[in-house]
Amino acid sequence: MTGSEGHSLATNESTLVEMAVSAIVTTPAVRPGQYIPHPDGTGAVLPGMYGITYNVRCGDRAFGWAGDHVEPGVSIDDDGHSGRHHALHYLNCIGNDAMVTSGMAAGATGTVIGEHARILVQFDAEAHALMAPGDRVQVMTRGQGLTLRDYSGVALKKMSPRLFHAMGITEADGRLQVKAAVELPIRIMGSGAELNSEYVDQDLMSGDRALMAELGIDKMRLGDIIAIRHADHHWGRSYREGAVSICICIHGDSIMTGHGPGILTLMTARAGEIDFTLDPSANLADLLKLGA
Amino acid sequence: MSVATNAADIVCVSVAGKVANPVLSGLPAEPYRLDADGRAFLWPTFGGIVYNVSCGDSAFGWSGDCVHPSVSISHPDANKNRGLNVFACVGNEAMIVSGAAKGEKGVVTGKSGRFSEQVIIHFPVDVRRKIAVDDQILVKAEGVGLALPEFPEITFKSLSPALFDALPKTVEDGVLKMGVTASVPPHMIGAGLGLTSEGGSLHIQSTDRAELAAQGLDKLRLGDVVALQDTDSRYNHGYLRGAMSIGIVGQTDGPRAGYGPGLTIVMTSPTGQLGSHAAPEANIADILGLTA
Repeated sequence: MTGSEGHSLATNESTLVEMAVSAIVTTPAVRPGQYIPHPDGTGAVLPGMYGITYNVRCGDRAFGWAGDHVEPGVSIDDDGHSGRHHALHYLNCIGNDAMVTSGMAAGATGTVIGEHARILVQFDAEAHALMAPGDRVQVMTRGQGLTLRDYSGVALKKMSPRLFHAMGITEADGRLQVKAAVELPIRIMGSGAELNSEYVDQDLMSGDRALMAELGIDKMRLGDIIAIRHADHHWGRSYREGAVSICICIHGDSIMTGHGPGILTLMTARAGEIDFTLDPSANLADLLKLGA
Repeated sequence: MSVATNAADIVCVSVAGKVANPVLSGLPAEPYRLDADGRAFLWPTFGGIVYNVSCGDSAFGWSGDCVHPSVSISHPDANKNRGLNVFACVGNEAMIVSGAAKGEKGVVTGKSGRFSEQVIIHFPVDVRRKIAVDDQILVKAEGVGLALPEFPEITFKSLSPALFDALPKTVEDGVLKMGVTASVPPHMIGAGLGLTSEGGSLHIQSTDRAELAAQGLDKLRLGDVVALQDTDSRYNHGYLRGAMSIGIVGQTDGPRAGYGPGLTIVMTSPTGQLGSHAAPEANIADILGLTA
């Protein structure tokens, strides 16, 4: 596709290295005194993180579960401290292929749909029903290093070529036009400001429940493409006037102050190279046809 | 003015730690951090004995990354360190109990959070010169449980009753207005959101220097009392319209994305019972007579 000023969406994807990184299916870990506080201090115990989540999939609602930080699909991580954890985190990209390599579902193939403290992969329901904690899952990582030839100001983060091409990005007036399901105001971006932008996500802060309803944020779905103005996600995440970041919702809401659905960085630009239009269908499950 | 507290009911208890040493990451001994522009930098950061940065000095302009003024302590056992980090309150008395400076008294001026978890203690420079890394320092922790009978919606965090009494404040129309040198809007609050509000730090983010200046935040001094708009810090820190938190600048600025001067949060209210008024004299180094 050629833009009005002779730009194109050409990428360097023919140079990318595709590499397997292995992990195992996790099982929930509970600390002594697992209560987590609501904003008023009321304690709660809720499921959501680790393991195989049978009834929450990419494309489902992000709000309203009786859970906290619900991770859709299967949460996988390294089973030791060998450095594979960080290899997984820094090499996996959203939309990468994954394959079960041991256990009763061996051979099943799925897709990376997110990254929390663990990598979130989704297979079909039949495979989920056969998988067990400890089964090995391998991600065929590809995407770190992906760049756009004609948009040097645009950084791509954890973006697989498969997802990039599926997002329906167009060009107008020398800028990328991205379709996003939800726009978030920068002032509600919370937990995760202390992390690298290739490592895990930054939660939106959902504690102002009236604001969530006023802005329609409470209709967000897991897998929604998210846009944030004045958010620079090049190296970490910070306020910078005029910057735009494009992200994806990867986990469910939280009851805890400063937390909420997880927003993972896909694209960022400082100088107006990215703009967006709102389109409720901009969701990973639809874009990659992941199925219900 | 004075406001009635339950100070007579507060339990004063010992906590202790050792003078910390600066830490760098392990092999391959990569010493660099990245600034918000992706450039590698190597500057002193948290921990250790800092001879030439003191509470009362500028929070900006140092060749350092979130430097703790004076002396930082931590406990080698993680649970005991948590006891130290939660119970120590700004304004508490500290005493050196081993080494060449044994018997010298200091004052807690701040705490730090995720990735460091230290308590920051002011000593005059002549005392600092006698302190050795690993010397034991005891803090007479007093303040957790502090409450105001006339303002039940206000919660205290990490503030000594005596320092509360000494801070500038007024009461107008049922609102306790704390004297502050600056007020931070929610979009300028970064690292520390979503993390515990019982200890640790919450950082102003300083990547956008023009916005920092426009908000009057570029002249802060260590020890300044500041207001955080629309911030609920009862249980973790997060966004809530109408809420307010009060913090004390405990650490210097730093160049990482999402970071900037670190604050120790000392008061919060989800409703309008807590407010602020401009008070250029609201600096704890001046109020407590801390001298380098």
